[in-house]
Amino acid sequence: MNNNVRDSSIEPCSNNDREFVLDASKRAFIRAAGMLVAGMMLPQVHADETRLAEASSDEKVVIVIIGGVRRIETFSLEGLENIPHLFSDLLPKSLFYPHARNEGVTAHFNAISSILTGNWQRVDDWGKLAPATPTLFEQYRKRRGADRSDTWVVASNKALTSLIGASSASGYGPAYGANVVFPKQLMLMAIADALRTGRTANMVDRNNVELELESAMEGNNYEGLGWNVFDAVDRLDPRVESSIKTAVASFVHSGGPTSGDELTFFMSREVMRKFSPRVLVVVFSDVEAAHFGSYALYQAGIRTADRLTYQMWNEIENNEGYRGKTTMVILPEFGRDPDGSSTNGFFNHRANEDSTRDTWMMSLGSAIDKPQIIERPIRHIDLCPTLGGLLGCNGADMQGKCLTEFRR
Amino acid sequence: MTATNSLPDDLQAALDKGLLKRFPLTFLPFINQQLREWQFLFPNERRSVARLLFYVASLNEEQSSVLFHDVRAVEEKMGVRHWQLSTSEQTIQNSSELARSPYFQEWRSAVQTVFDAADKHEVNARETTKRQNRLVLLDIPQSLPIQAQDAWKRWGNIGRTVTLSFDSSEQMHSPMGFLLSNQRGPTSSDSSGLLEARNHLVSAADIWIVDAGRSVIDAVLATESSTTDPARAILLSYNRLDAYRQAFSHEMNSMRKDLADADAVFARMRKLDVIPWCPPEVAADPAVREFLRSLYLSGNGAVIFGNSFVEWAASEAFRRARPHFLAASFGLRSKPKPFTSVAVFENPDQVNPLPAVDDLTGSALDAQVLSLYVWLAASRYEEYQHSTICVCLAESIAQAYIVAPPECSLLTEQGPIPLDRMRDALVTWMN
Repeated sequence: MNNNVRDSSIEPCSNNDREFVLDASKRAFIRAAGMLVAGMMLPQVHADETRLAEASSDEKVVIVIIGGVRRIETFSLEGLENIPHLFSDLLPKSLFYPHARNEGVTAHFNAISSILTGNWQRVDDWGKLAPATPTLFEQYRKRRGADRSDTWVVASNKALTSLIGASSASGYGPAYGANVVFPKQLMLMAIADALRTGRTANMVDRNNVELELESAMEGNNYEGLGWNVFDAVDRLDPRVESSIKTAVASFVHSGGPTSGDELTFFMSREVMRKFSPRVLVVVFSDVEAAHFGSYALYQAGIRTADRLTYQMWNEIENNEGYRGKTTMVILPEFGRDPDGSSTNGFFNHRANEDSTRDTWMMSLGSAIDKPQIIERPIRHIDLCPTLGGLLGCNGADMQGKCLTEFRR
Repeated sequence: MTATNSLPDDLQAALDKGLLKRFPLTFLPFINQQLREWQFLFPNERRSVARLLFYVASLNEEQSSVLFHDVRAVEEKMGVRHWQLSTSEQTIQNSSELARSPYFQEWRSAVQTVFDAADKHEVNARETTKRQNRLVLLDIPQSLPIQAQDAWKRWGNIGRTVTLSFDSSEQMHSPMGFLLSNQRGPTSSDSSGLLEARNHLVSAADIWIVDAGRSVIDAVLATESSTTDPARAILLSYNRLDAYRQAFSHEMNSMRKDLADADAVFARMRKLDVIPWCPPEVAADPAVREFLRSLYLSGNGAVIFGNSFVEWAASEAFRRARPHFLAASFGLRSKPKPFTSVAVFENPDQVNPLPAVDDLTGSALDAQVLSLYVWLAASRYEEYQHSTICVCLAESIAQAYIVAPPECSLLTEQGPIPLDRMRDALVTWMN
């Protein structure tokens, strides 16, 4: 076994790992390790199934990106209460990297485009410039001749634009890009319309909220929404219309919370059910309420992301089109600044500190032979070449390196 | 705050001799903006800018070339000369160019080295300056439910928890109000409130009171109005600033997602006449008006939540004005409303007619974290590291957490501390 690789063995922590929960407390460590051992049975069977799937070249990947969350509110002793599903339900069957570093620009567009291209991107912070090197979507579609309906981005984050779906690299670009949908923008547009036309009373009644959302959807400002679905930015492609209506209805009538991430989840689930894309990227960003200085809302955002990520995994397990042939990867864009920093702590993500740069990454599913905790630090840009290998579209000229623990 | 509006003669003379030509390009936006806005700077900021400029002026050409060598080398690597860099003021475009450069951290480090050299030069020159005691008083009001068992866990072991005893309904109703007032208590040695313990302070910028609501400021103003003195403290109330904040939010919402447009909007907002929106205690002081403008423009939730306003205003006050006494009172916000909570709106009652519901536990958690942040913001500066008492009141559990130097008498108190005795101890400390 590689010195950097520890599976179910319990070893004392190094100084660098002192914040990581499995090292920080013997009791928690033993508990997690116990679950890890228990979980080793299931994924082995799972892995056998997926080898069959590999033969059919049917591999799919789902990347769940959560906005900026610090280790101290997630995989630390005090953070565990915020992530019951990630810790108790998913960690025991996962390949887990406690140290996944963002060494690039810790702003949303650059962070996400770095993950999706395998290169540290340094473009306009507000999404006015496309990534400079090809995204996973473009590499996959070009190499495998895949249809646009095979690649999707569904995101809550307002800092993104449809340019996240394709790069400006020559030989690639929008012709090979992903469908991009920002469901939260639809809700914001509905609210703005209601406010402008004096219909805010509609926001009180669920049926009327649904009507407002459908009304917003039937407008023609899809570019304004940041949407790029099947090459259309000025009209909604009929193929996607019913999916959006179903997602909206689920969101409105679920009786559950009604945050932007909830709507993003329902939309992602509908996209999975209707289009069964090979590459799906979901971006949750309720945690970004932290920018407004409410720690309670930030913490609530983490708990929402934890629950929705688990629901996403359950969808994969229960959806015929995904079960047994899907690798799901979960990682934050970055952390947030440490308490006491000159950048105002959890509010922001600008500090050149481990609290901001050192996050974690969890992988589940068909590319994972056995649950492991890999303490060797990895970089966010290592994910793209790794998944490219899984999808049979290894790209050239990437700063990132393949993670050897993934089955290839 | 009374202060002269023009640059000191010796500083102007140095500038007239071409001092700014010695500075690297990336220093100029900051320096030019500070010089242009001199009349709006607090005394501490003026000293800081002057310190840097006089230090560079004291160097010969070769020495200043050595001082800035590393910054210029990084600028060369960054290609700063090819940027659309504004040298007249700090812009979002400038910040964006810097932040996404791969050499950003190297640049920050090189710039910090220059400021450190200027600070060291100054410290050597004023080694004999007497250190003054300072006080940071924080309040989590009665309405916010705090759990006694974990009230102070975020503070670690940097201080100690004390139990408070209240001898009157006034004390129990508003411990913060009592500490600031001059009401006499049964165990008081005199009737001085903390606001009287300030006669030796020279500027209003030495005392700040920041309120997430308005009751604390209203009470202070009621006392002030009985005197003929001009305002002797900087008073900031989130609710009394409603008009200012809402007008600003409206302008900011007109901004498109574009760096150039953001700079254009910000430039417009820097020129807006804000006086009509200001309560009297703010309208009267240009530096405070501009402080608020800057506070609202710099984000961090100051236009959204009262508690964020308190934390960010206090942090900026420490950074810019280094007050001797700062009091900050947290408060209550509403719960997010169904559906419209997909985004955080500064006007939630306008976008959703459902009645607002108080978020008691969420507000309490926010206040617990942000009260610590206020202290952490202060403790970044040398002025607060050795001779400052920080008291954080949690009114609902009749406790306070105290961080203080060993000589602070409150650290040796046994049993519950009567509030008037705490006030006496703090007044003594400040005097």
